[in-house]
Amino acid sequence: MKDVIDVMALQSSRRERRLPDYRSAPSHSLATNFIFECGIKLGLQPATVATAAIFYHKFFKEADKNDYDCYVICTACLCAAGKSRDEPVRLRDAVNVAHNSINRGAGPLELGDEYWSWRGAVAQAELLVLRLLGFNLDTPSPHRYLLHYLRTLQEWFPPSQWRSAPIARTAMAFLQDFHHSPSILEYRAPHVAVACLTLALHVLGVSVPLASTLDDDAAWYSVFTKDLQKEKNWEIMEKIMQVYSREPEPI
Amino acid sequence: MEESILRYEKIDFLGEGQFATVYKARDVKTDKIVAVKKIKIGSRLEAQDGINRTALREIKLLQELQHINLIGLLDVFGQKSNVSLVFDFMDTDLEIIVKDNTIVLTPANVKAYMIMTLRGLEYLHQNWILHRDLKPNNLLINREGILKIGDFGLAKAFGSPTRINTHQVVTRWYRSPELLFGARQYGTGVDMWAIGCILAELLLRVPFLPGESDLDQLSRIFQVFGTPSEETWPGMKNLTDYVQFKHFPPQQLRHIFSAASDDLIQLLESLLALYPPSRCDCTQALQMAYFSNKPAPSIGSKLPMPSNISKIEAEKPSLKRKLLENIDGGSLAKRLQF
Repeated sequence: MKDVIDVMALQSSRRERRLPDYRSAPSHSLATNFIFECGIKLGLQPATVATAAIFYHKFFKEADKNDYDCYVICTACLCAAGKSRDEPVRLRDAVNVAHNSINRGAGPLELGDEYWSWRGAVAQAELLVLRLLGFNLDTPSPHRYLLHYLRTLQEWFPPSQWRSAPIARTAMAFLQDFHHSPSILEYRAPHVAVACLTLALHVLGVSVPLASTLDDDAAWYSVFTKDLQKEKNWEIMEKIMQVYSREPEPI
Repeated sequence: MEESILRYEKIDFLGEGQFATVYKARDVKTDKIVAVKKIKIGSRLEAQDGINRTALREIKLLQELQHINLIGLLDVFGQKSNVSLVFDFMDTDLEIIVKDNTIVLTPANVKAYMIMTLRGLEYLHQNWILHRDLKPNNLLINREGILKIGDFGLAKAFGSPTRINTHQVVTRWYRSPELLFGARQYGTGVDMWAIGCILAELLLRVPFLPGESDLDQLSRIFQVFGTPSEETWPGMKNLTDYVQFKHFPPQQLRHIFSAASDDLIQLLESLLALYPPSRCDCTQALQMAYFSNKPAPSIGSKLPMPSNISKIEAEKPSLKRKLLENIDGGSLAKRLQF
């Protein structure tokens, strides 16, 4: 029993060390980490957390980063994304999770001035985010495209080969991590999905069956999306890889 | 954004609900009459969980949907801490028409309302969205006689097998038996049942099953359609809120709707099938004999309007008709004098 506890304590202390300190970080440098951390803690689905990140990138494409508190806007993005994807977050939970992530080790906020000013700020920021987005909540989700492509490819691969490498997991992880970069706004959802899939196949050293028999200018993914050039696909893959060169690593 | 506030000129106050105030306004840019629904938040913003979810849901769904028989969301704008939604302006709704005793609903009129409702709903279901609050009050009608389904505050995407829904949807009188038994996984059947109740109400001119409680609602349903058994509704007893009901024998719908034609009874029966999977969907309903048989549905301009709403195009002909009626009436009066 003692051994088990020790292992757990070790793991949690290692995790603690990996968690960033949002207070000392330069403003906005960890914004998307914050969104992902709080989103996961709030039990939101990956696609909802990704939507929150999209809202954040869209917001600061329009607004000046120095004008607003980064973490209040991030929390508001999570609330707005939750509502728009029918996975509502209670404002109190969002505030407590955000507060605790910034002040590591702090308990839930008392129902005092600090709590109410946080809550008011997040509620107002949520409205501001929505207004700046022009109430355009319908973000085309690359997750759906990627899922569809993965299911289709799975049918095309011999089952043993499909099982031998974690293609789906890797591609989904790339997609999720790509949401740390504002570049995700520059590309269409099906193109992002194909790039994540291509990158996963490259990294795992797997090739699509019979793809080598295709003409030079044809690509296996042309059945999914006709207007994605090979150069464009490489460009997106490079942008995805750049996510991993920033410090600290994405969660 | 600032432009939007100046763009809509308030004309009239239309109504006030729990979450919103609705105004009739003129769009200065297009000179069109619109309805502006102002969501109440303002001071209560902090008290609630931020922005009203139903409003956001309505915005998100309606931005994706475009159909002649669905209410159009023309614009959304924010001002201070308010959010306003701009909709097509609709003159009346089916509830007002059904309750107006001066209006005669001919079989052709009923057919026209049903076709428009089913077409709008078919489009909605094809896009994997359930309305979940269909009732005469939410079927809006403009003076051109076009019916549009409104109020998407409870609408939701369906079809995901992992998603659990709430059964506390749909106004009780239009709520399907599976919802009343507490089903958490349901489909288009909940909307189809509501359509069946609305059709029945168009024929009876009073609500068909006005239950006073959820149990009374089920009891009224079974008194008409008979108490289902495990044979006629497999799996019914496993529903969360299932309760055993007294055995009622099913009644003949043609006895209740004595004036309805056989093809109409057939439609009613498939809309109001107790076992959800045997209920028809919109596409099946629209292909039923009722819609291709005579009489043809009334065209928009021939559909009735409450007397306080003047039909724009019909104004001149109606004046003519009035004159003709006067002449006829005059001759009739003369004859009576004899």
